Amino acid sequence: MTQLSATQYKRRLKRIAEHPAMSAENITADRASMDKAAAIMIGIGALLLALTAAGAVIVNGRHALASYAVGVYAVTAISLGAMFWVMVFELVRSGWSAGVRRQFENVMMNIPLCVVLIAPILIFELAAGGVLFHWMMGDADEYLVNKKSAYLNPAFLAVRFLLYGGIWILLAMKLWGYSMAQDQTGDRYLVNKARFTSSWGMLLFALSVAFFAFDFLMSPDYRFFSTMWGVYYFAGGTFSSIAVVAIICCLAKFFGRMTGAITAEHTHDMGKLMFGFTVFWGYIAFSQYFLIWYSNIPEEVAWYTHRKENGWEVLAWLLVFGHFLIPFIILLQRPVKRSLVGLAIVGVWLLVMTTIDKTWIVRPMVYIRDFAQNDPGPAGWWLDVVAAAGVFAVWGGFLVRRIARVPLIPVRDPRLLKALKHKNYV
Amino acid sequence: MSVEHPDQRTVEQLLGREPESSQPAPHDPGDGSLIDDPALEAPLVLGGRSLHEVTEIVCGYAERPAPKWWLPALLVSASVAGLGTMMILYLIITGVGVWGLNNQVNWAWDITNFVFWIGIGHAGTLISAILCLFKQKWRTAVNRSAEAMTIFAVTCAGIYPAIHVGRIWFIWMVFPIPNANAIWPNFRSPLLWDVFAVSTYATVSTLFWYMGMLPDFATLRDRADRRLRRAMASGGARSLPDTLRAYIYGVFALGWRFSNRHWHRYEVAYLILAGISTPLVLSVHSIVSFDFATSVVPGWHTTIFPPYFVAGAIFGGFAMVLLLLIPARELLPNFKDLLTLRHIENMAKILLVTGMMVGFAYAMEFFVAWYGANEFEFYVFMFNRAVPDWLHESGAPYWWAYWTMIFCNVVSPQVFWFRRCRQDVRIVWGVALLVTIGMWFERFVIIVTSLHRGWLPAQWHMFYPTIVDILTFVGTFGIFMTLFLLFLKFLPIFPMAEIKAVMPQADPHPDPEEAPAMAGARGDDPEAAGGAAPAPAPAHPEEGR
Amino acid sequence: MALADYLPIPTSKLPAPLRGPSTKFVLEDGTPVHGMLAQYSKTPDLVHAVEAVRDAGYKVWDSFSPFPIHGMEESMGFARTKLPYIIGVAGLSAAAMGYLLQWWISNDYQMVVQGKPYTAWEPFVPITFEIGILITAFTTLLGMFAFNGLPRHHHPLYQSERFLSSSDDKFFVYIEATDERFDPEATRKLLEKTHPDHIELIGQRD
Repeated sequence: MTQLSATQYKRRLKRIAEHPAMSAENITADRASMDKAAAIMIGIGALLLALTAAGAVIVNGRHALASYAVGVYAVTAISLGAMFWVMVFELVRSGWSAGVRRQFENVMMNIPLCVVLIAPILIFELAAGGVLFHWMMGDADEYLVNKKSAYLNPAFLAVRFLLYGGIWILLAMKLWGYSMAQDQTGDRYLVNKARFTSSWGMLLFALSVAFFAFDFLMSPDYRFFSTMWGVYYFAGGTFSSIAVVAIICCLAKFFGRMTGAITAEHTHDMGKLMFGFTVFWGYIAFSQYFLIWYSNIPEEVAWYTHRKENGWEVLAWLLVFGHFLIPFIILLQRPVKRSLVGLAIVGVWLLVMTTIDKTWIVRPMVYIRDFAQNDPGPAGWWLDVVAAAGVFAVWGGFLVRRIARVPLIPVRDPRLLKALKHKNYV
Repeated sequence: MSVEHPDQRTVEQLLGREPESSQPAPHDPGDGSLIDDPALEAPLVLGGRSLHEVTEIVCGYAERPAPKWWLPALLVSASVAGLGTMMILYLIITGVGVWGLNNQVNWAWDITNFVFWIGIGHAGTLISAILCLFKQKWRTAVNRSAEAMTIFAVTCAGIYPAIHVGRIWFIWMVFPIPNANAIWPNFRSPLLWDVFAVSTYATVSTLFWYMGMLPDFATLRDRADRRLRRAMASGGARSLPDTLRAYIYGVFALGWRFSNRHWHRYEVAYLILAGISTPLVLSVHSIVSFDFATSVVPGWHTTIFPPYFVAGAIFGGFAMVLLLLIPARELLPNFKDLLTLRHIENMAKILLVTGMMVGFAYAMEFFVAWYGANEFEFYVFMFNRAVPDWLHESGAPYWWAYWTMIFCNVVSPQVFWFRRCRQDVRIVWGVALLVTIGMWFERFVIIVTSLHRGWLPAQWHMFYPTIVDILTFVGTFGIFMTLFLLFLKFLPIFPMAEIKAVMPQADPHPDPEEAPAMAGARGDDPEAAGGAAPAPAPAHPEEGR
Repeated sequence: MALADYLPIPTSKLPAPLRGPSTKFVLEDGTPVHGMLAQYSKTPDLVHAVEAVRDAGYKVWDSFSPFPIHGMEESMGFARTKLPYIIGVAGLSAAAMGYLLQWWISNDYQMVVQGKPYTAWEPFVPITFEIGILITAFTTLLGMFAFNGLPRHHHPLYQSERFLSSSDDKFFVYIEATDERFDPEATRKLLEKTHPDHIELIGQRD
């Protein structure tokens, strides 16, 4: 037998629909209250971002933009990480993830928002002739900047940004479109189309994410270079997107949704992936630092020495312990991985840590030229919290809005029955 | 709770609505495993085999007389291995001067071969560990032979650094052994990390391989035991081979008796071993890459080396798995029932993915060599590697090595975008061969093209291999093939217990409604599956043996 | 459980205390009964049978299958193994010892290499990791054997030729005579209700 007959397939869909976990209450969110929550989150986010703008005037414009960029780069990594997981689930014909995939898709669909959020950074940089992007500024080393000018020039940067945004939005829309269409029509072969899209999409995804990371997180310090950089940025999105999905599922459970659809088994698998990719991040981060530390080549190692002094070393050690060792030990525990609440708590922690990771990368750029200029020191640190929280609130608000608008699981995915019955080996 | 939702109708209509279908054009289902319907799961064992038939097929390889080609093949491999061993002896007696190394190119084929073999040695643990963690059930068909290849390849790899040290009788100094001179090893040297990484990897891979084989040894022991009992009951003589089997397999089985309390701990332990093997695989090839990347040699120092080496190792390892298993699939009876076209297709896809990963790394290296604005770094990539000497005066005579690498590793797997190529074993085998060649050249390109031009033109030297270089390399293939042929004859080459565990008969709570979803399944009794399945071929046809 | 089963010598050659506990039931030829074995030929049958035995309250019993069956710990009602905790402790302490070894040696035998600090933590990471993994792997395998009571030279079950099929395609439930609820009649009745292919008594022989 090479395919299920139409009658058999109809019977399959009927069995899925009759599953006790598939009742309408269980798999749809309460839209009115979700919309209210979303409005509140977006409102708070807008307020915080307005405060950031005020901070740009009162405290320091570069500081404010850097703090805003930290939040934006973090949420972009998370959204891209979610897209990565959607594509991976499709590529490997993953059965267990059929239910949770919808939440990854919801996170993925915040990519257009991320592109919109990145745009102001680029606009400010271009308009001001370099705020954080040192190579745009007049005092950059002429020899290096001239050598790199074929790549590092404002016009090409803008074109590349549009290209990255275009690729991401195209891929997200296509994958989302298949999933939505399947909810409506129950056409099982859309799965194959999504798989094909994921195959070439993964190639574009890898290149675009790597060069996005080069352009926005690495090249501001134009002297520094690392071939690993794209992988490092990507690694930051893999586990944090799972963290967001774990939080969503935990809240859904709290409000009595997805009971029986997301069980301890699915949580366990998400926990394993979260664990594995936290370790992956540690591996990439360590390898990159280690090779640069060991070779001690000036133009590379200066980037790290700059981030190991003037107080930034506190963040560096916080990352070593908070971002790797502590989650490693905690997520090693089976009971934590099997508990949605435990996973959500670790998830929140990891989201904080991934934001601190971006802070450690981006914020020292403020002091690249003139350490003391206009810097009120600790008195201005509220900006870091306010800006990142503002970005996260807006991003989360749009996420909540989207969650309320579609069923919480892909209701007509042919693999859903397998996912509902999913059980781990040991 | 009242729920107002725009998709309410979708949910409610689920029961009644007719699903649409944009079914693609029908295609050849191959041997029956190439099912394209997402609602179905492809069968992992073909021919509607029962549990007993799986035992018969797998044990048959170890119990029945070897096929006709086996002994000649073993003799040839063992002779080549002997030749290689003689070369190694010659080297030890004479000194490393018998190789083509010179002052500038002081690492060449020896380290190339080391990295090549250790890379091949990564696929086994990848299949066993990573695919096990990701619950990719298709791994059961290939994991045993891939793990065997891991160990044999690491054996071959371990030879090179050991003989490369020159005075091999001092090799013990790499271990932190208290000694009269109070000399300790240098723990800040990447070469010492290699010692620990490779020896740990060899040990853990062997433990993992052995642990997987434990139940299968017990199966072989029980079968020999039963034959001995039957012979004694009928008053016949105990056959010597069966007595040997009962004892030898019995010793290795350590009294395993298939208890479910034991299975529980076994599975937990296996999963943990898989869990620690995964970072181990990553660490080993990362540490091998540290040998290069911690230096300041242009073309060696680049931060993407660790994941890039790992991807390359998986790439080369899968190519080797395909290179050996595709012929085995043709030559051994019933192999095709356990290693289906779907398995081949999946491995072809992994070749495509990992080929793209190394392609990504090549691109990043080249881009950053330019972007980094370090003249020496860019010179290595541009002139030592890419630009031919007949095109530019600074071009290198090694351009062909670089382009062989690009063609074999990046271009040739692109044929796997086409379904037809992934499903044709001849094409897959051809690409696997190209990839194996390409991965050898990758290491050669990294090592020799970077080294052969020093910082000053006076330090420029070409490398030419001597006959000893070549025969040592060929000899390691002999060692590898000898070990692999012995494995094919004497050990359980498929994990029987694991294959049985992914067969439909293993489901403790079978869902009668979903019986058709297990395509190609046949229960142990014919009426359970409708009795329509054709009668299976005998487990071990006598012809061709 | 008899010590003799772990040694490659016949039980009868051992002094009585080492022969293991004997039960009040004997076979027709006077051999003490070791337990009762029931054979099944399908996975679901075995799962139903072990659930029945579990619900009947037996403690000293086991089931056998040619491959691991998922969810067996619930069906048989035994607790999840504590092996992972032992492995975790062993692995982490081995890694710590590995770090200490390098730190101590590098301090003791100071070599100037690239002007790097003698005891910088970075270069010690690879070997720390490898030693941790190595000891973890050994603890995993040896711990699994130790918890399972392996290696074991002999088991009375292997007197039954049928039981040899447990490594092929048959499934078994075995209730040992040392279980306080064991009674040849009652136990046989319980097992018969689970539709086995065959039931037999196993004696405590060599």
